Amino acid sequence: MSEAEPEPVPEPVVGPVVGPVVEPVVEPVVAESEWQRLDPRMLLVHPVKEVVRFLPVLVGVWFAGSAAGSSWQLLGVAVPVALGVLRYLTTSFRVAHDRVELRRGLLERHVLSTPVDRVRTVDLTASPVHRVLGLTTMRVGTGTASSDDDEQLDLDGLPVERARRLRDELLRAAPSAPGAEGDLDAEGRSRPPAPAAPPVLVLDAAWARYAPLTSAGLVLAAAVVGGGLQLLQVLGGLDRIDVDGVARDVATAPLLALAAVAVGLGLVVVAGLAVVAYLVSYWGFSLRRSGASWHLVRGLLTTRETSLDDARLHGVTLTEPVGLRLAGGAGLSAIVTGLRGEGGAASALLTPPAPYAVVAATAAAVVGDAEPVMGPLVPHGPQATRRAWVRACAPALVLAGLVVAVVLADLPGTSSWLLPLVPALLVGGALLGRDRARSLGHALTARHLVARRGSVVRRRDVLAREAVIGWTLRATWLQRRAGLCSLVATTAGGRQSVVVADVPRALAVRLAASARPGLLEQFLLVDESHG
Amino acid sequence: MPHEPDLQPDPQPDPHPELRAPSQRVSPRARTMWTVETLLEGLVSAALVVVVVALVDAVDVTWWGVALLGAAVAAYALVVPRWRWAVHRWEVTDTAVYTQVGWWSLEQRVAPLSRIQTVDHVVGPVERAFGLATVTVTTASAAGALRVSGLERDRARRLVDELTLRAEAAGGDAT
Repeated sequence: MSEAEPEPVPEPVVGPVVGPVVEPVVEPVVAESEWQRLDPRMLLVHPVKEVVRFLPVLVGVWFAGSAAGSSWQLLGVAVPVALGVLRYLTTSFRVAHDRVELRRGLLERHVLSTPVDRVRTVDLTASPVHRVLGLTTMRVGTGTASSDDDEQLDLDGLPVERARRLRDELLRAAPSAPGAEGDLDAEGRSRPPAPAAPPVLVLDAAWARYAPLTSAGLVLAAAVVGGGLQLLQVLGGLDRIDVDGVARDVATAPLLALAAVAVGLGLVVVAGLAVVAYLVSYWGFSLRRSGASWHLVRGLLTTRETSLDDARLHGVTLTEPVGLRLAGGAGLSAIVTGLRGEGGAASALLTPPAPYAVVAATAAAVVGDAEPVMGPLVPHGPQATRRAWVRACAPALVLAGLVVAVVLADLPGTSSWLLPLVPALLVGGALLGRDRARSLGHALTARHLVARRGSVVRRRDVLAREAVIGWTLRATWLQRRAGLCSLVATTAGGRQSVVVADVPRALAVRLAASARPGLLEQFLLVDESHG
Repeated sequence: MPHEPDLQPDPQPDPHPELRAPSQRVSPRARTMWTVETLLEGLVSAALVVVVVALVDAVDVTWWGVALLGAAVAAYALVVPRWRWAVHRWEVTDTAVYTQVGWWSLEQRVAPLSRIQTVDHVVGPVERAFGLATVTVTTASAAGALRVSGLERDRARRLVDELTLRAEAAGGDAT
């Protein structure tokens, strides 16, 4: 029953740039226009992958086989290898008639097809196995809402050079110069084509110091501390059962010290792991511009090259988790259509966690304007500040009240050592409220809408005004009473929306009307006496 | 956007601009339908609560407890659907769709016709009984769907056709 403009037909108005893909203008393109298999070297990759995937089954078969006879064992190896070969033989792709098409499946034929002018991003990922063989996996991002793995246009297994050329054609970048092959760096990786623009950002290994402070690092650390506490509780519990009186006190003291040491050691290990993970993930990070897209390279073991079409890059988000912010760091991700899902979220990042100044400079370069990134923000006024305080302090007050009540009621299992929690809760609530109120702000620059909010994770969203595809004004009864509302600018990329939180109503309406002239004006009250 | 001409260039912007409500209300039958729906949901939840309390020995099921619960459900079913209906409005112009929904939390959504991707016409089982339908308008943003529920069936049908035509006229590639 759903109608209306299904998938708008790709219109030829895009211009002559689409031409090279069909017409045999550039030499390699001709090769891609016929149905063809992926690189035969994948015959080595697939069986290895299949064997790994079947490992549990294989182990079982192996044991069963040693009892029953050796022919079973052979089968256990042959099946995965055969599956790998089948997968290679049944997968083919072509670039023809302005479309990229991927055909796969033996019993269930599956043809995935997308218009070339719908290609938003191209991502080249090479696992260590791929790298040894000089191959890479190409993922073509089209902005589909589907996060289903089967719907992904993955060309798994192309020679690196060919993948790069194909990528440039898909992104309609200037075709590689004939001498592009000669332009290799020390590791045999070619530099992205087009003018040798200096990279906007190159990794400084010293930034790895931020690794333990990122959200991921903090979660790891919390897990270790939690585990340590649990261990302590278990030990303490056992202790309480086994001994009593003085003996317990003597026994608990070293136990506590032991637990403290264990937690401390755990934190050091976690910090070390986080640093290693950071370096493995971001090694060789560089962000540079070439032609009409941004190219991002990173990775120590699995290398990853992401290309973002400039026209689809609608903005950036500066993210400061509290740990990172206290250390003066931040991270940057792109608001871009064509990247979705968990893998997508990771590849939309534009900088690793790095010093704020570096991140801001990169953001300014990507956005093409420093004002939305570094310029001042309009605060949201006293009502918004009050609301932030109330929302942070009220739960803290309730919790503190509960603690006091529990201690007063003298419930079993509680004691007065809970009382220090009360001031901690109150101070925490106050700090949170103050910081949230200070974070709130927005701005409207020549081409961008800017919004900042949050405390535990503070975000500054910079969204191109023309990428706004709708407005939502949302207000609860309490917000309405305070004359506030949340203005949501919906967009097709990133987190799908940018929220200007708790902004005075009149300011919100004016902001929305001036950010996209011609849309909201028709719904405004014309009553002049209103103001 | 080039395809959305500035209709009324305002030389002196109002210092305190405010959105007016959309012009169209939905069918009065929607009020009845929501009341029935809310009442049914409320009764089922209340029955669940009573059963759980009855199974747990700590508290006895008392007649006044049940009466209180029933009164709360009835009050909710009486007030909320009416409140919702009073808020619930929609409007389609040459360039945009505008909806207003909610009760405690109120939401006004505006989307330009040029960014419309799909228009859905859905009739749920309860809606079928009341001869009503829901029209959902989606844009390229997963956060941007506009929903008008409680429309009379043929009005909904006409709205779909109208939106389809206007969206085509407005052009754009909807991304």
